[in-house]
Amino acid sequence: MIVTKNINFYYGTFQALKNISMTMEANTVTAFIGPSGCGKSTFLRLFNRMNDLIDGTRLEGECLIKGKDIYDKSINIDALRKDIGMVFQKPNPFPKSVFENVAYGLRVNGIKDKKFIADKVEETLKAAALFDEVKDKLNKSAFELSGGQQQRLCIARALAVEPSILLMDEPASALDPISTSKIEELIHDLKKKYTIVIVTHNMQQAARVSDKTGFFMLGELIEYNDTKKMFLNPDKEITQNYITGRFG
Amino acid sequence: MNKRTKQKFAFFFFRLFSIIIVGILIAILGFIAVNGLKVINWEFLSGMPKEGMTEGGIFPAIVGTCYLIIGSLIFAVPLGVMAAIYTVEYAGNGKVVRFIRMMTNNLASIPSIVFGLFGMALFVKGLGFGDSIIAGSLTLGLLTLPIIIRTSEEALKAVPESYRTGSYALGATKLQTIRKVVFPCALPNILTGIILSISRVSGETAPILFTVAAYFLPSLPDSIFSQAMALPYHLYVLATSGTDIEASRPMAYGTALVLVVIVLFFNLTATLLRQRLSKNMKNK
Repeated sequence: MIVTKNINFYYGTFQALKNISMTMEANTVTAFIGPSGCGKSTFLRLFNRMNDLIDGTRLEGECLIKGKDIYDKSINIDALRKDIGMVFQKPNPFPKSVFENVAYGLRVNGIKDKKFIADKVEETLKAAALFDEVKDKLNKSAFELSGGQQQRLCIARALAVEPSILLMDEPASALDPISTSKIEELIHDLKKKYTIVIVTHNMQQAARVSDKTGFFMLGELIEYNDTKKMFLNPDKEITQNYITGRFG
Repeated sequence: MNKRTKQKFAFFFFRLFSIIIVGILIAILGFIAVNGLKVINWEFLSGMPKEGMTEGGIFPAIVGTCYLIIGSLIFAVPLGVMAAIYTVEYAGNGKVVRFIRMMTNNLASIPSIVFGLFGMALFVKGLGFGDSIIAGSLTLGLLTLPIIIRTSEEALKAVPESYRTGSYALGATKLQTIRKVVFPCALPNILTGIILSISRVSGETAPILFTVAAYFLPSLPDSIFSQAMALPYHLYVLATSGTDIEASRPMAYGTALVLVVIVLFFNLTATLLRQRLSKNMKNK
């Protein structure tokens, strides 16, 4: 599904990613773990070309999604970003109503049919396990929701444009434990339909939600394995040390 | 003196000076109100000046000032807001933007009488508009451009970057992102800039002196190419160069009161509008 070959990535002269080759399968959850500044978020943001928004960055290597090089000149970035949804670390709903937040992606992609939009909003709010909580306040500001609800709203917003891949950049790091577990349950359900890549600082979370885990350090992919194996019996000692909290 | 007493002493002065400032404002408004209210009646507001401006009303000046406010905003708001969108959203942070910003700031520091002279040379003579509402509006528009650009820039910069990235991540283009997320979010603060320019436009005398303002007109302006009377200039005329200055003194206070009320009215409207918009946009 997502294949990277020999990725090197630079912020100016600083090399943030070093020769990363990795394959993420469809309909699995892949977790990226590693200490802060190890490049895992940078790597994630390559897949929907969010790094393009930062000046002075440079990429070497190939990044193939569904067999297509997404950095090829023929690629339409807006269409790519529609197909590859993203959920950010801090919930970032727009200053609009709950309904309009979810409808936004549909509207900017040219859908005008009101009935279709209304149905889709309900469908995705249900998919994000939020509908029952917000069905009476669809026209209220999204800021009236709790942090956890806002984050699920952002997930619904991302799902509304029917992506095939969902990128999650520490989606629960700003949330309380109950909201976190709701998000994790959601990830579990979403796996059936979407390919999910999640960056997390939380070891238990990676162990709970993911099928495969990649461990990054100083811009390198140290180990990439089945999550079970990774947490029970990793190939490398340094992975073991990180997971058990001996450094980090 | 122990430090508690010192503190009390210091706070006493801070409070005193704040009260003095409010007091000055109240004194000015009160003075204008007390003197102005004597002449305010329906005839004063809706009538034409009579008897060498010692009797009658100031209706043409009220109308003229309203035209000038509206005219200058029609010109300056779209131009200023678009320039701000360009510099904040598109132009990055290169030399060109720094140059534009520097020029905007310089524009703001030009004395208003110079704008008047320039307006006369360009709009009145150069483009042949003559002394007219359009020439005056354009001149006043130029004067307010820097205010509108600067406040709009600040308003756009205050929109959190996460809104933009959130929008791009859904496949929105930059223009869509600006139109549907960034601009609506910045609008309440952009309105602040417009409030400031309204106050500025209605009070300025120098820029309209050579471009639009008439000493006395027997009728209302009938097109944008007509001359018009305006409150600040009318006030100047009444106070300094009327036919009988002593006799027209009360009229001058009345005019000042009307001018102040118009400015306050526009400010209030825009403030209410702004509060309503930001209530819709944000969490209370």
